[in-house]
Amino acid sequence: MSTSRRGVGLAAFSNNSVASAQYATHGTNIRAAHVDSLQTQISVFQQLLHQFSITHGKDIRSNPTFRAEFARMCNAIGVDPLAASARKPPTGTAKVVEGAAGGIGNLWSQMLGGSVNDFYFELGVRVVEVCRDTRAENGGMMSVGEVRRRVQKGKAIGGGMEVTDDDILRAVKSLEPLGSGFTIMKLGTKQMIRSIPKELNTDQSTVLEVIQVLGYITVSMLQLNLRWERARAKAVIEDLLADGLVWVDMQCDEAEYWSPTFITEAAGG
Amino acid sequence: MSTTAASPHPTSIPPPPPPPSTNTAFPFPPHYHYPPFFSLQPTASTRLSQLHSWSTLIQSYCRHHRLFALSLVDALDSDLFWNRKLGKRLALRDAREVIAWMAGTEGGERAEWVDGTGKKGRGEEGRCWVYWRRPEEWAGLIEAWVDATAQRGTVLTLYELAEGDATRSQEFHGMDMELLQKSLQVLVKKGKAQIFGSDDQQGIKFF
Repeated sequence: MSTSRRGVGLAAFSNNSVASAQYATHGTNIRAAHVDSLQTQISVFQQLLHQFSITHGKDIRSNPTFRAEFARMCNAIGVDPLAASARKPPTGTAKVVEGAAGGIGNLWSQMLGGSVNDFYFELGVRVVEVCRDTRAENGGMMSVGEVRRRVQKGKAIGGGMEVTDDDILRAVKSLEPLGSGFTIMKLGTKQMIRSIPKELNTDQSTVLEVIQVLGYITVSMLQLNLRWERARAKAVIEDLLADGLVWVDMQCDEAEYWSPTFITEAAGG
Repeated sequence: MSTTAASPHPTSIPPPPPPPSTNTAFPFPPHYHYPPFFSLQPTASTRLSQLHSWSTLIQSYCRHHRLFALSLVDALDSDLFWNRKLGKRLALRDAREVIAWMAGTEGGERAEWVDGTGKKGRGEEGRCWVYWRRPEEWAGLIEAWVDATAQRGTVLTLYELAEGDATRSQEFHGMDMELLQKSLQVLVKKGKAQIFGSDDQQGIKFF
């Protein structure tokens, strides 16, 4: 019986190719069906997400925990809220997105009716305001936590916003397409928002990191701890001073250099 | 600010004295606990922000303690310029610069040397007005109070204005006489009031 299925003679070859062609078409059919059902699922899900964000829009805006959970959910299903920001979706994917009639705007704003997106843009504006207000004091470098505190205090109309550090980071990211020069950098264990587009060299970031740990720095401390020559230590500190990234306390035996981030923290101690 | 709203019945039982009393400790801003704050910064932009912060600190300190003028030499030994906990203090030279900046247009003219322009020839006894309210603003407050209590056309003594029971709820109660004079002169210049009488017993009439 088994031999009859294989066939004998030349016809077996054509049989073979017919079979594989059939397999292929069947495979395509299955795949198409899969894609179809997946697309339906996605669009249903997106619709639900849309519904959800509309019904809970107020909560998303006002409740930081809720917002964080919502953002986590979006991330889990591969919707990066801000990835699509400020660029038109390619026409191919625009089809998937329900209601992408004009093809303008991003995934997030189409799906969520703009309210969540607007939230981050609004927050972004606040962050810019805070950074600009304090730029002279801190040389354009602020810890994320401090920015959050100030945004929450909010002297602007409408009062403060309830936000988390995560929201701040997201908002800063949403500013990126503007070429605003706002970047997030890590300094030791702290995340800082740099509002002046000026790179720090390795020496400078090392010194700033040390200041975060020790509270302040002097030229001889740098010489001792980092084995730097005096000239090098001096040059780095002078650069930082000129950029307003450190303040100098001259009422000591040797000038002490402090980071302005301690202005707010010193109040507690 | 809420105290500026005058009570409609000046003769009713005087409410307690204005809220900014000397009883409670002045809440120093975070800058006050930051050691470099007491050395004027060499970097121009940083220094500007520092001068701003000092100006705000001095104004709110004086407002809290209801000081209308500072004698720099004495003030240097007070908490305002000397953080004893940190062991840091503002040097006289730096304090003069802060006041000079406050007195300038950039500082919003929030201070003024009492003895002229604070030139070096005046010695180190510099006394300065600290205008947490400028004379024009005081004048506005007083005028509003006179309006609210319907005392236009009546004659009030300066003493009455500053120390009388009727003004107890007002922010200008207990005001420095010299500054009061200065403020009222603003109204006189505008033709809204007239001051008469001799040195000790001056009266003012509002039109």
